[in-house]
Amino acid sequence: MELAWYALLGLFFAGYLVLAGYDYGVGLLLAGDADVSRRRAALNAVGPFFLGNEVWLVAAAGILFGAFPVLEGELLAGSYPAVATALVGVILVTAGVQLRSRPGSGGARAAWDRVIVVGSLLAALGWGVVLAGLLQGVPLQADGHVAGVTHLFTPFAAATGLAVVALVVAHGASFLALRLPAVEGDRLRPLARRLLLTAIVAVGTAAVVGLFSDRVRAAAQRPAVGVLLAVLLVAALLAARVALGRRRLGVAFAATATALALPVLLVGATLWPYVLVSTVEPSASLTVADAAASGPTLRLLGWLTVPLLPALLGFQAMCVWIFRGRTDGRAPVYW
Amino acid sequence: MDTLLLARLQFAATASVHFLFVAVTLGLVTLLVGMQTAWVVTGNHRWERLTRFWGQLYVINYVLGIATGIVMEFQFGLNWSGLSRYVGNVFGAPLAIETLVAFFLESTFLGMWIFGWHRLRRGVHLALLYGVAITAYASAFWIMVANSWLQNPVGYEVRDGVAHLTDFPALLTNPALGMALGHVLSAALLTGGLLMAAISAWHLNRRTTDHALFRTSLRIGLVTAALAITLVQGFGFAQFGPVGGVQPTKFGGNPEADALIADWTARFGPGDYLPPALSNVGLGFMILIGFALGLLWLLVPLLWRDWIIRLRFPLWLLMLALPLPFVALILGWIAREVGRHPWVAYGLLPVDQAVSPVSPWLMASSLVGFTLLLGTLAVTNWVLLARHAARGAADPALGRRPAQPPADDSRPEPAFA
Ligand code: HEM
Repeated sequence: MELAWYALLGLFFAGYLVLAGYDYGVGLLLAGDADVSRRRAALNAVGPFFLGNEVWLVAAAGILFGAFPVLEGELLAGSYPAVATALVGVILVTAGVQLRSRPGSGGARAAWDRVIVVGSLLAALGWGVVLAGLLQGVPLQADGHVAGVTHLFTPFAAATGLAVVALVVAHGASFLALRLPAVEGDRLRPLARRLLLTAIVAVGTAAVVGLFSDRVRAAAQRPAVGVLLAVLLVAALLAARVALGRRRLGVAFAATATALALPVLLVGATLWPYVLVSTVEPSASLTVADAAASGPTLRLLGWLTVPLLPALLGFQAMCVWIFRGRTDGRAPVYW
Repeated sequence: MDTLLLARLQFAATASVHFLFVAVTLGLVTLLVGMQTAWVVTGNHRWERLTRFWGQLYVINYVLGIATGIVMEFQFGLNWSGLSRYVGNVFGAPLAIETLVAFFLESTFLGMWIFGWHRLRRGVHLALLYGVAITAYASAFWIMVANSWLQNPVGYEVRDGVAHLTDFPALLTNPALGMALGHVLSAALLTGGLLMAAISAWHLNRRTTDHALFRTSLRIGLVTAALAITLVQGFGFAQFGPVGGVQPTKFGGNPEADALIADWTARFGPGDYLPPALSNVGLGFMILIGFALGLLWLLVPLLWRDWIIRLRFPLWLLMLALPLPFVALILGWIAREVGRHPWVAYGLLPVDQAVSPVSPWLMASSLVGFTLLLGTLAVTNWVLLARHAARGAADPALGRRPAQPPADDSRPEPAFA
């Protein structure tokens, strides 16, 4: 039962990284485009999906609190600066995207666009560091609390944060190549391929830094799985690059989406059966089962929410279906 | 510096801002449902324009509701990790349900609603708004279930210092829940109704275009607000009984409170178990505002033959009254939340055990950072709301035909979007 909830938590967080990942990628790409109408087109390509994307984070946080309360407290408080950074980013993007077109003047829009760029950067960086923080273990004391927050500031965390930034930018570009009108989408393909190369380098660097980090090696319970998934991640990025070259845009997007989901799986599987591995007191490490809420709570949540999952996913699918295909002159413009 | 105090200040600041926006969200969406239904049923163009104009304001206001809501949700873990550790088994459940069955769907529906104009069939588009409204109310319900559990913990047993869920239905029949839910929901309706009436009054007073349109929304807003204030008062007074029953220390000294304090002193050690005076001052002023707003009923007869517009001063009264419900909302929350001091979960978990063991400096930077960020966004959002309200219903961006060049842009942008 704990495993099922852990998987669900992973599903929603990975879903968040995949879906909001392209929001942030599109957001970061605004920095490289001075053309106002292209910027607006890019944001409205995300358009109808935007609100539905970021709530995956809220759902993940809900599951975290409901099904893994102990983990919730220690993970968030123990990674305070990283979580706070990510949150500031999420809020800036939320407000920026929805409000940028509400002022009439171009100057104000340009300012909001900068807000979106900064927000996207902080969000990707912050969540990357949170994931890295899990993988390198935390100073969990015998009393069950994580001591201090300086444990986050390591080369591995920095490299992972940057790798996630590189991943979302590439993902955003592959989304736009798929979604914008054909001419515009085609224009973006070379850029997307270059960004994928950067992402491969960034992910590779983070992986190597991780392999050389004592803390990561000590925390990994199944290093082989971790390495395998990291290799898969790079393979997905390579596949995306090849697919873009052959104009298989759907395949490319699926590949970059996989690349954004994999880090979550990697962290979960490499640490299993633990979720917080202590760097100071081996017996204090927290297993998934210990972190979970007690039986009655999980059963209640199961009865109330699991039957609704098909509805949740169904309405998201409905949104994708209604607004499927490339944007064109008839697509609504609001952001 | 004291981590606990900083964490409490941060919670108060975020929750206040959050409440100012979600009350409007909840109130306006109810009125929007009525307007859009009228449009679909009658096919009358005027209802479409009303839906677009008020819908635009609703959507702008919604932004800060989510932004602050996300911060609230993460704040539990960031600043109050003891809360999840000791009572997370029980308190976490309603919050998890809220995010999954309410918030998640609400945003999904809203995205489709905003972009669905001219694209979806009218019935489907209307159904989406119903979805938004229903999930918004569901959200309010589950949040109040969670909050009421903190006010009056029920349906649990403590094993090894940790609370475990034993009786979920007890959370739903919590005496701290029913009347409070009615009170908050009608307060939200009051706020939404008065906002609508006041903005309409501004336009009618200025004699801007669209007289007929704003005349309609003035009537809707005023009648809604008047009905709602009566409900607010009714549910408000009805709360004293159940809340006083489960929280004897809340409304000042009485024998029960003294007995309870003696019991707590024995179990948790000596301490100050009475809430600060602030909470009862808040309560008093809220009730004053509640009575003042009851006078809205005096304006209702003036709707006859449009005397309310012709006399003009009633329009001014409505505009001047607009801040009152917002102030009362904050005061009400102060009364309810500060009134349960020094407990996070009343009689079960004291605040100092719930706060995260992080350094005061970290907490202080978080407090300053998030408060500045959300404060700035809130003010910006209100400025945008005011501008859009003042601009009138000529051509809101919401529901504009894709091919139509926007009238509000300094230069037409969407080349192909
Ligand atoms: C005659 C008028 C009113 C009375 C008798 C009244 C009564 C109460 C009482 C007794 C509480 C405290 C509940 C607790 O501590 O648990 C409360 C809370 C609250 N009040 Fe009022 N109130 C009135 C008017 C208003 C108005 C006009 C508003 C806002 C528009 C408002 C908004 C709130 C809110 C947001 C809370 C906190 C949440 C809750 O308890 O449900 N109240 N009210």
